[in-house]
Amino acid sequence: MPSRDIALLDVAKTYPLKRGAALAALDGISLDIANGEFVALLGPSGCGKSTVLRIVAGLEEPTSGSVSVGGASPQALSRAHRLGVAFQEHSLLPWLTVRQNIALPYSVAGRKIDGAHIQDLIELVGLVGFEDARPKQLSGGMRQRASIARALVLEPEVLLLDEPFGALDAVTRRRMNRELGRIWAELRITTLLVTHDVDEAVLLADRVVVMTGRPGRVRHIEDIDLPLREHSELTRTPEFHDIVDRLTGLLDATKDA
Amino acid sequence: MTAVRPGTQSAARAGMRPGLRTALYGLVGVAVLLLIAELIGQFGLLGTTWPPLTSVFAFLADPANHTLLGNALSTTVTEAAVGGLIGIAAGVGFALLASLVPVLAPGLDRFAAVIDAVPAVALAPFLILILGREGTPVLVVALSTTFIIYISMSSGLATAARPYHDLLAVLGARRGTRLRLVDVPAALPKLFDGLALAAPAMILGATIGEWFGARRGLGVLFISAMQNYRIDLLWAAAVLSVLCSLVLYGAAVVAQRAIARRFA
Ligand SMILES: Nc1ncnc2c1ncn2[C@@H]1O[C@H](COP(=O)(O)OP(=O)(O)O)[C@@H](O)[C@H]1O
Ligand SMILES: [Mg+2]
Repeated sequence: MPSRDIALLDVAKTYPLKRGAALAALDGISLDIANGEFVALLGPSGCGKSTVLRIVAGLEEPTSGSVSVGGASPQALSRAHRLGVAFQEHSLLPWLTVRQNIALPYSVAGRKIDGAHIQDLIELVGLVGFEDARPKQLSGGMRQRASIARALVLEPEVLLLDEPFGALDAVTRRRMNRELGRIWAELRITTLLVTHDVDEAVLLADRVVVMTGRPGRVRHIEDIDLPLREHSELTRTPEFHDIVDRLTGLLDATKDA
Repeated sequence: MTAVRPGTQSAARAGMRPGLRTALYGLVGVAVLLLIAELIGQFGLLGTTWPPLTSVFAFLADPANHTLLGNALSTTVTEAAVGGLIGIAAGVGFALLASLVPVLAPGLDRFAAVIDAVPAVALAPFLILILGREGTPVLVVALSTTFIIYISMSSGLATAARPYHDLLAVLGARRGTRLRLVDVPAALPKLFDGLALAAPAMILGATIGEWFGARRGLGVLFISAMQNYRIDLLWAAAVLSVLCSLVLYGAAVVAQRAIARRFA
């Protein structure tokens, strides 16, 4: 499975506001994500997590600093139809059914729709029986699962997930975490997951990046050495809870700051 | 899906009653107006040019008049339909062009506004020169339809929300692909709004276009009935043209509702 590395070097992002004012969203973010690595970005809300993801997706230009994906621009990857993104807002097209929404990347790439592959993904994200439903008829969690399936459908070389399980209840969320871990262990796509759920970050990622409050900076990077994706029963071990407690502490400290 | 159905149903039921009431008020209002019109005619309150509606409907119902009225009606409806289709195609085409080639947009906008600002009466001599007397109604319809459809389709093409554009950008869609997969479907509700506006304008445009020397049609009936003081015929033609407009408008509104439910 081909994959790509991601390199952010000293990235800052300032959004212009009304009357000449400006909002500093990110400041001096440097982060290298290796080929086939899973990195989780953890931080309080409003700290610029989505902004990092949008910069890696090529949807925003950094105000200063540089970003490259596989040595080229992020746009080059999307133009090659090799980027998968599940946005915080699901952005399913309301006039298409679940199946048609998941098939959309094929139409954009001008490729023949692989119905069997789409059906596999629908099974994987637990939407069997809802293939012909429209987004309006689904719960928030189901929409997010459909949008994850859509992000995976072309087997991308880079996967960007922005709080993909935010609308799920705790039980479904853990089940989806385990499913994603299992799929990911097979595919090994370079992945950036944005989340504010510490358990989820530790469970899924090779490395967890904790950000400070606004303007977002890298506060701490934690290497996760437990094989949690393959052995989710390890979440009951003290090692897991140590890491979660420590990262939660760091998050709390950023909130106070 | 079953979990969502009951909510939708109760919403529909709650919406049904005010809907029915509005329809009822509408019907009562129309009935009152018709009654007043009938009474004005019966008592000759506005002189001999305002006949009782019952006599107009009697005229419409009389088989002896059906060939005359039917020929005129089918001519006008055909012109409205042909001109309407040309106008819809041109309006949609220009809107797509303005969207694909943005440098053309300001020019197209201004051109459309100018065409719309010039009254058909002022254009008529030119139209007759270009297309002859029979083609003029079609062109008048096409011009006004093009304008309405161009405006509604253009504004519709700008309605797709930003997250959808972000999605298509990360999927690597080109401008044309995004237009086809997102902007055009998102524009359909506005386009059908425009169609509902354009439908009555099509009948009106065809009728007015016929005033510039056409040989057949409801507009011709208007003129000759006026010149020959055939009050019944004049009113019968008016009623037919109003009914046509209403039917077209109603059909467009029904289609618009269905489209809005699906695409918005
Ligand atoms: N397009 C924008 N224009 C202005 N401000 C923005 C824009 N996008 C995000 N922001 C601001 O930047 C900050 C970081 O936003 P975001 O990256 O969405 O944070 P997070 O995803 O961590 O919650 C927030 O204060 C947000 O209001
Ligand atoms: Mg966010």
